[in-house]
Amino acid sequence: MRRFIPLVFIAPALFLIVLFTFWPVLSTLHLSFLQWNMISPRARWEGPGNYLSLLTGREFWLAGYNTLVYTVILLVFNLVLPYLVAYAVTRVPPRRQTPYKALIFAPGVISLAVASVIFLWLYNPVLGPVDILLRHLGLGAPAWLTGYRTVIWALSLITTWKLFGYNFIVLLAGLVAVPRELIQAAQLEGASGWQIFWHIIRPQTSATSLYVLVMTVVWGAQYVFVPIQMLTNGGPDYASTNLVFLIYQYGFGFFQAGKAAACAVLTLLVFLVLILLQARVLEKKVYYED
Amino acid sequence: MKVRRWSKEAPWHILLILTAVLSLLPFIWMLATAFKPEPEIFAGGLNPLPAVPTLANFRFVMERVPLFRYFANTLLAAVLITGLKMVTSILAAYGFTRFRFRGREFIFYLCLVSIFVPVQVTMLPNYLLISHLGWLNSFAGLVIPQLADAMGIFLLRQSIRTVPVSLFEAARIDGAGHLAVLRRVLLPAIKPAVVALAILFFINAWNEYYWPLLVLNDKSMYTLPLALQMFTNQEGGTAWGVMMAAASLTALPPLVVYLLTQRYVVDSFINSGLKG
Repeated sequence: MRRFIPLVFIAPALFLIVLFTFWPVLSTLHLSFLQWNMISPRARWEGPGNYLSLLTGREFWLAGYNTLVYTVILLVFNLVLPYLVAYAVTRVPPRRQTPYKALIFAPGVISLAVASVIFLWLYNPVLGPVDILLRHLGLGAPAWLTGYRTVIWALSLITTWKLFGYNFIVLLAGLVAVPRELIQAAQLEGASGWQIFWHIIRPQTSATSLYVLVMTVVWGAQYVFVPIQMLTNGGPDYASTNLVFLIYQYGFGFFQAGKAAACAVLTLLVFLVLILLQARVLEKKVYYED
Repeated sequence: MKVRRWSKEAPWHILLILTAVLSLLPFIWMLATAFKPEPEIFAGGLNPLPAVPTLANFRFVMERVPLFRYFANTLLAAVLITGLKMVTSILAAYGFTRFRFRGREFIFYLCLVSIFVPVQVTMLPNYLLISHLGWLNSFAGLVIPQLADAMGIFLLRQSIRTVPVSLFEAARIDGAGHLAVLRRVLLPAIKPAVVALAILFFINAWNEYYWPLLVLNDKSMYTLPLALQMFTNQEGGTAWGVMMAAASLTALPPLVVYLLTQRYVVDSFINSGLKG
């Protein structure tokens, strides 16, 4: 009987995680071989048909390419830049760090829906402050949300504004955890600031950086979904559609459950390598830390 | 000496001030525009502050949408999710740290992997399940799928491991049951981590957009973030002041919670196991 006591503690969380995370993965796999409009009681076995139609169509490749562009932009703005800013915080005395930490983290606590609405206003081509500023500087303002080339940048910046602070704090936690003795020893040996950064701080924070990298790639695709859904609906002509939005559109816009599921499976396969790598690193860190 | 230190620090301060200003500017524009009368907004200009502040935009929001209803929906869902998710997370974290059993590492690893399973892979079956149960447009459908969080378990587990084992054993020898140990020994010992996690759960639950978008299509069930989309379509397309007033009201509760607990949240975030 005593053997079951630990299970009682774990059961509620485990049950919910299995029911709402793992079972749906298998269910999505099954759905991806069906043709079904989510309403009719019967679904037709389709075999690999959904995959073939995705891989031979234009939308999937466009959305895949856009997802890659979003990811690269987010990695620069939400991994490289916050890392630099977090490093800057560690370079000023502790008592001056607090206001910076508090202010930079602040946008992280508001909804992406709020962020999207604010930027819809800021980007407004006639009255929006961004465009007025650009005009004052004598620059022509692009049509942020309706231009093929600018729309991904505009939507990425919204996501960046909201996520920057969170990643900044996580990276700062990693930087703060670098043992002081290592840095002091290097200083005694006459190492320059840059050498200390590159040979000690960077490798010592690699686990944190990897964590933020995977989060930015996997969750980034989810986060940009909100501004896409709210502001552009994937347009103009699929120019801002990413894979998450495409799945949503197939499923909830066109009621093609099978095609949506097939798209989800293909997306997962791409992310799987990263996810497993990250879980292994996290596990190692968890078990060998102490 | 002092001057030398300043010149060394100055470039970092410039970078930090720039980042802080860019972080705050959109907030300032949102709030300021919400208090601007319409003619002032349409006059353009780069001064964010209203010359003649007005509450007209807020009054308009309240006439346009059932604001108090949305506020109550969001609050109720966020409180339920936060409270129940804390319970499942604390119980699981206790189970993973205070017991040894076969398969423990495997099950924990499985939970960890779930953090990284993208929502897009699970959303269709979850929507179909909730729809099958008849839970669309209900609090059950909105709340129940959000009641477990592997990240919460992970963070609490990290905190529990810092509590000396002798503390638990002393209580156990005194004959206390597991639930009593959990309440009287564990929770007081890791209180800061528990409170910080609850605050983060609340803020995230308040802000959730994705899942409400799927399961709520009855406008009377909307949460505030979801209701914002009503202001971005043609109906309210050019009423910028009204749109910013609605956005301000949606952003206000999490901002207030953050302002009140800011030091606490940021520091415990940094000190928590979230070093990955």
